[in-house]
Amino acid sequence: MRRRRAGRAIAWSYVIGVLAFLYLPLGPPLMFSVLSGGQNGLTLRWYRELWGNALLVGGIQNSLLIGALVGLVTPPLALLAAMAVRELRLARLIVLTVLMPLFIPGVSMGLATAFFFRELGITPSFWTITGVHVLWALPFAFLIILAVMATFDPVYLEAAYLHGANRLRAFLDVELPLIRHGILGAGIFSVILSFNETTRTALVQGPLNTVQTYIWSTFLQVGLSPTLYALMSLLITLTLALVAVLLVIGARGAVSPRAG
Amino acid sequence: MGEVQGRHVSHGVRSVGTLARYGLLALPLAFVASLLWVPLGLMFVWSFWERAGFWIRPAFTFSSYADFLYGVRLLVLERSLVVAATVTLASLMLAYPIAYFLSMGVRLELARAVLLLFTVPFLVNYIIRTFSWVYLLSRTGPVNRALIAIGVTDRSVDWLLFSDFAVFVGLISSYMPFMIYPLWAALDGIDRRLVEASWLLGASPRRTFLRVTLPLSMPGVFAAVIFGFVGSFGESAVPIILGGVGYQLMGNTITSALDVLNYPLAAAMSSVVVATMLLFLGAWYLAFDLRAVLGKIAWWRF
Repeated sequence: MRRRRAGRAIAWSYVIGVLAFLYLPLGPPLMFSVLSGGQNGLTLRWYRELWGNALLVGGIQNSLLIGALVGLVTPPLALLAAMAVRELRLARLIVLTVLMPLFIPGVSMGLATAFFFRELGITPSFWTITGVHVLWALPFAFLIILAVMATFDPVYLEAAYLHGANRLRAFLDVELPLIRHGILGAGIFSVILSFNETTRTALVQGPLNTVQTYIWSTFLQVGLSPTLYALMSLLITLTLALVAVLLVIGARGAVSPRAG
Repeated sequence: MGEVQGRHVSHGVRSVGTLARYGLLALPLAFVASLLWVPLGLMFVWSFWERAGFWIRPAFTFSSYADFLYGVRLLVLERSLVVAATVTLASLMLAYPIAYFLSMGVRLELARAVLLLFTVPFLVNYIIRTFSWVYLLSRTGPVNRALIAIGVTDRSVDWLLFSDFAVFVGLISSYMPFMIYPLWAALDGIDRRLVEASWLLGASPRRTFLRVTLPLSMPGVFAAVIFGFVGSFGESAVPIILGGVGYQLMGNTITSALDVLNYPLAAAMSSVVVATMLLFLGAWYLAFDLRAVLGKIAWWRF
């Protein structure tokens, strides 16, 4: 018994050690963003300077708008894909197709879509970035919605059909209320992924900047600066806040009635 | 008469409805096909075209592949394969015990909570996290100070940053969290009675693990290997930030070919990367059942 307990302690300290390794890189930007560089310690100056940079403010606006679009478009697409898995034949092939963007390295995905847009004569814009972000977020949103839909028993749908509801009615009145939190979660996850994407975006951005491509190109041109660290800290904070929202939604969803 | 007509109309409506339903369900597939399959296919075609001023023109030449395979870039391919294999193996060794412990030794709710903790850093842009490693591993950074403080070394260690080691650290911390999921899903899906049967038949824990648990978790291992390999093989930012000047992997060699407007070369190298991934994926698809990894997520027929 004692030996078993010691084993568990070792296992937990290993898990915590690896977690620490993964969380460690979240700290330095926060630290550098408030160091003044002078003798007297801390400052919020770098955060104030962010708003004076027109290029960056434009990038922030673009990121917010693209993030919102991605958050709105991805969940319905992912929901349709999950329903296709349930209702169509060749489900294995459908799953693999929808998961495909996960398996293609970012550079290749960005390059292929950038060439594709260029050959079609589509100038890089808002929409090209949004399209590539939706493609990147789709497999994640799909897996989240698939997981939530698996907790729903299709027998309820059949009960609705027996009472004369058509497919759309049955879906809207019976299934949607029960998987709503999964769709919302998928949406927020998509927004987070869109906010944090650089490699693919950098190849289809054209003249536009997102926050992330701004950070990347500034790093390549002039290196890191306290202002960039302030920006990174804001992004880390925003991401963590969105994760918190995701958790609240998940907890609510877990309380809602489930079929078993 | 009226009834027949009515039935006819409703039949028409139903078939339009069915068509609309299939159309809707196929929408995401059409989206992935047109924005991923088609561009990847075209990229392969373009890799045989030739340079023309600032863009490319139709041709059928292997010169980009020759450029790639006979030049120094072949060394880049070799190094990328070695780095990706090393990172994948190291990540697997780090991740497997965690996935094993979470699936075998912990309640389901707790396991899910811990898995969530592994997701959070993954969601923060890995480039931002990679910048942090520059500071953490630098000569005067915390890691060196800690090493000196505990007496491992009396002078700063140089090879922590701008080295293979730094690239390994950056790649592992970027892609390892992602590998825990398929491992956990596969381990969690193992029928416990098989493990118990092995015990009852007198196998030692070690033997049980090697002969029962490990083989049954192979679909997850293979999925995790694909995730780790895709990430580190095609990665472009980490070698630029942590590798130091002149550190070339496939990813940043592709972007530097783009910088000098050699589009066919970029397309050729990118096609090699994608083909490698598709080989892995094809092998996985043929060897394992998708259900072994997704089984816990969706129990409908596959």
